[in-house]
This record gives sequence, C-alpha cells and structure tokens, in this order.
Amino acid sequence: MMEDQNKTKLLGLMAEKLNQSVRLYLDNCARCGSCIEACHAYASTGDTRYTAVARAQNIRRLFEKYHKITGKVAPWLDEAVELDERWMEKVYETAFTCTGCRRCMVYCPFGIDTQQIQSIAKAMLIGADMEPKPLTMRAKNEITRGEKLEATREKYTKELEKIRTEFVGRWPSLDAENPLPLDVQGANVLFVSMTEKPSIMPAAAILNAAGEKWSLSYFEAVNFGAFLGHAAMTEQIYQRIINEAERLKVKEVVMCECGTAYRLMKHVIGKRDFGVITILQLADRYLREGRIKLDTSVTEGRVTYHDPCQIARNGGIYEEPRNCLKALTDNYVDLTPNRKENWCCGGGGGLVLAAEPEWRLMTSRVKADQIRASGAEICATACEMCFAQLKDLDDEFELDVKMTLVSDLVADALDV
Amino acid sequence: MADKFWYFVLVPMVYLSLAWCIIWMGVKIAELLNAPKFPKTLRIFPEGQSPDDTSGTGWAGAVWDAFTMPAVRRYNPLLWFFLTVFHVTILLLILAHLDMLPQINIVSADSPHMIGNGAVGMLITVCVLYFLFRRFRSPVREVSVPSDYLLLILLLCIILSGDVISWGNSWTENGFVMTKQDFGAYLNSLMKFTFTDPRQFLSGSHYPVIGTHVLLANLFLIFLPFSKIMHVFFAVPMNKLRRG
Repeated sequence: MMEDQNKTKLLGLMAEKLNQSVRLYLDNCARCGSCIEACHAYASTGDTRYTAVARAQNIRRLFEKYHKITGKVAPWLDEAVELDERWMEKVYETAFTCTGCRRCMVYCPFGIDTQQIQSIAKAMLIGADMEPKPLTMRAKNEITRGEKLEATREKYTKELEKIRTEFVGRWPSLDAENPLPLDVQGANVLFVSMTEKPSIMPAAAILNAAGEKWSLSYFEAVNFGAFLGHAAMTEQIYQRIINEAERLKVKEVVMCECGTAYRLMKHVIGKRDFGVITILQLADRYLREGRIKLDTSVTEGRVTYHDPCQIARNGGIYEEPRNCLKALTDNYVDLTPNRKENWCCGGGGGLVLAAEPEWRLMTSRVKADQIRASGAEICATACEMCFAQLKDLDDEFELDVKMTLVSDLVADALDV
Repeated sequence: MADKFWYFVLVPMVYLSLAWCIIWMGVKIAELLNAPKFPKTLRIFPEGQSPDDTSGTGWAGAVWDAFTMPAVRRYNPLLWFFLTVFHVTILLLILAHLDMLPQINIVSADSPHMIGNGAVGMLITVCVLYFLFRRFRSPVREVSVPSDYLLLILLLCIILSGDVISWGNSWTENGFVMTKQDFGAYLNSLMKFTFTDPRQFLSGSHYPVIGTHVLLANLFLIFLPFSKIMHVFFAVPMNKLRRG
C-alpha cells in the first residue's frame, strides 16, 4: 500500500502538470485507435501496451479518478484507478517505453501529444524516486559542469589539446593557429558539441574549411534533464548555453547533431538575441554559398537518411541534411516512409540509456526492416542518440549497413 | 401512471437535461480556460516549410484538420469513410429535427417525411454499428473502456428508435399516423415553454417509441459533458496546437 503522504505528493505533481493542452489531451481522446499503428514499438511487437493510446490510458485513468466527476461517481465507466505502487509500474511504462517521437500525433485526428501526457508520468516517477538513475546522474553531472566551470575548464582544455593534435593530423590543410577556439568574443557561431571528439572534429573541420569566426562551447548539447522529464534541471542545463552565447555575444548558436538539444534551444527557450540552427543547416548554407566544397568521389555506395524525430517532425528540418548528402553522392535514396512519417529509431527520449537493450532492440524491428528495404549501404542520421541506436540495430539485425552521422560524411569529403 | 411518466420524459426532463448539459459544458470550458497555458510550441512541422516560418498555421488549417480528418483519411481510409458519413449524417439529423419546427422549411412544409425520407437514419445506423463492431476486434478492443461501448450503444438505441419512428410510422395500414407536422407541433410547444401534454400532438400508436427516443436523447445530453463527445468543441483547438 502506498502511504497517504506519498500518494498526495505524487497526485500533487500530476495536478501541477494539468495545463490547458494536457487537459485537452486527457479529456478528449476518442480511443479510435488511429494511433495504434503509428508506434514503432507496437509495429515491431504487436503488443498493444506499446501504443500511444494505451500509454496515455495509464495516466488518463488516474485523471479520471482524481479530476473527473465520472471517475468518482462511476469509476468503472472509464476504468478509473486508485494510485498505488502497482499502478506506478504502469506509470513507468508510460514514461519509459515511449521515445517521445510524436509520430502518433501525426496519426491522431485530434493531434493528441503523447509526449505531454508522458511528462506527467515522468514527473510522478521523479517524485517517487523511480526514475532511471543513469539519466539523473548524467543530468546532475551536466549541471555540476555549469556550476563548477573553473574546475572543469582546465580538464576540458587538456582534452581539446589531444583532439587538436588529431584534428591537424586528419586535416593538415586546416592547420589554423587555433582550430578549436574557445571563448571567442563576438563570434559568428557558437558551436555546441557533445564535448567529445566524434562530435567536435567533423564540425570543426566544416567550420574551419568555411573560414568561419567561431567558438566552441564549453558545454555539451545533450540535455539529460529533458529525457528525465525534470523541468528545472532541463532549464538549468540549457541555461548554461544561453548564458555562454549571451556572454560571447554570438550571432548564432549552432547545435551538433542532437535532436532534443536542438528542439529545446530552437523551440523551447523563447526568442533570444541569437539564432539557433543545427550544424547541418550551416553546412548546407556553406555549400550553397560555395564556402565549402565536397569531393564526390569519397562516399561510395548507396546512401540513405534517417530523419531524427526531434530534428524533423518536431524540429522542422527536413531538407538540409538531404541537401548535404546529395552534394556528396548521386546514389541517394530516401527511406520509406520518410520525413514527417519516418519511423522512430527506438532509442530516443533517453531510452538508449534508460531502457533494457533487449527491449529497445525488440521494439525497433520495423526500423531495421525499413533500412534493409532501402538497399542502402550507408545510413546517415543527424542525431547522436539515433546514431547509437542505429549502430545497435545494425549489429542485432545484421543489416551490414554503415551507420554514420551526416556531419562525419561531409567532413570526410571536404575538398580542402 | 404511464402518461405521467411519458409527460415527464417528453417535457420537463427535456428542459432539465438540456440545462444540465449546457451548465456542465460551461463548467468544463471554464475549467479548461482557467488552467495554465502551455508556454511552448507543440507543433508538428509541415514539410517544405522553414522552422522559422509561422505562416499558414492559423485557425483555418486547424478547422480543416478537424472537419476533414486528413490523418485518418491517409492512414485508415475505411474508418475515415464511416467517420465522415457519421458526422455528415449527424449534421443532417440536426437539420432534420430543426426542420420539423413550423418556422423552418428545408423540405416542403406539407411533406410527412423528414430530410432524407429515413435514409439518413439508416446511414448513421450502419456507421454506429461499424464503430461498435470494430471495438470488439483487436487491437481496438484492447484500448477500449466500458464508456466507449455504452456511448455507442446509447447512440445506437437513440438512432434505432428514431428509425422506428421514421420508418415504422409509414408502414401502418393507415399510412402516416404521426407526421412531421405533429412532431413539429410538439417541438414548437417545447420551444414556447407551453408545458402542453405531448399527447395532444402525438396521438398515434408510436407514442411510447417517441417517448423512448426522447428519454434516451435526454440521457445522452446528461452524459455528454462528461464524455469524449466534448471533442465537438475541442477538436479545433487541439488541431491548432498541432498546427502551431
């Protein structure tokens, strides 16, 4: 049995989340089933627990019980339930069997946003200390990095030295005095990487090849607070980047290939003095302006592109990554379906870290089938989470497809 | 006793149900308006448009989405067909009931028939049966709750009793024992709050069927504000959220 105090706390957290949109979504679902086929987890397993409507029902049934008259007078009518420890397992199912890809929102006649309902589940799990701890740990680390910048600066600078050596070895012609600049006041571009070599190197090559005045951010783009569903942590994490951009007075913040980070910075933080784009939008711009040129003989084999959910349907970037790929090769093919309707990779929303690998791969069979059907030898994407998941899919389903990031392909083919 | 019961159903209960429905709908809408707004965009981005471009995402698009259900048409054409027929017939039935009033003449005032000569009722019956039967099949069965079935059964009963009135009425040996004009007189008395016994207008043998039809409709009105049918009001704002 759940203690009354704990129950009151969790129900309070639920009530805090009941804004206009969430109320609309909880109150008006017709359970028509249009969303069922939309979820990659259902399409891969046939298990109706992994549908948008079933996940939402886990929260909707609590909403019925505690916020609707019918739930009090006739709880059987909409299957209203009491909150208890057993039901918290269902709440967990809502929060962490869904990547928040919002493909179901495309299918729903009303446009119900499951991610919003999922945010209630995540808030309750944090309240019950049931959230996936790897996400909490990483979110806290990110915040610490922002709070103890002086202490971490030296370590990061040393790491950059090593990357710099490798960078110069890989692109000798880009041997600028300082190929990985930090703290450049008045830079045109503040590039926010994953603070790791694989995300820094390709972007640095593109930016230096274009002769851009840029600065590398101290902070990582990925926001584990958002995956966790912790509003305050999410804000603390992206605020570090905002503060840095404002301090340096940059014109544009350019996000590395990280879907959630881009969506937060572009569509959540509100209007700022700087613009927000992704590295692929910038690369596409450089290509159009002739500031970078690509050697089309470098990329061999048929290439396809996986639209990351947070970049594409939730972020509005469809064509720029394709333009970059089409500048690399004539042998490009789209996945089917693609763009707004593309299947989620199954690793988003932090599930690459939070979910059991077996489950994560089992629920992504449809993605593997989709890639296989394209006949591609290279599958590029524009999100680190997708990239990690796609690599796992390649192993699990023996696709024999090279999974990569678009920026990597572009950097490899830079004609410098 | 039966006369008193049917009088209550056909006159006072109609007013009470309608008042109940309006008040609770008002409460629901007020509840929603008083809730905090969501400060961020919930938009799904259309293809071929820059993320910075906010044009073409206004209310007109949301109205279009709500009324034509393009997502259902694309992904589930059969469901879309029945949903479209259902919603069009609902509209026609509302018009048909209004047309019974002497002040409104969509079809000829002296015609004994309602709009569609009973065909509208048959069409909506087929649609509701389809909606009901698909709820008994997997995977929709697994995501359905009792209220989904009860609401459809209630609708089906209302519609079937309406079909009986409309069709059965003309199958009697004497032809129409109750005409559109008779129903019109009853509705008119309701509109004018005369509290006249409906027996004065509805003298035929189908009186209990009409009573049943109105009783079920009253129950529907009572239940409506607490049901998912409130999407009638909220489908457009929800689609607006998706449009941005």
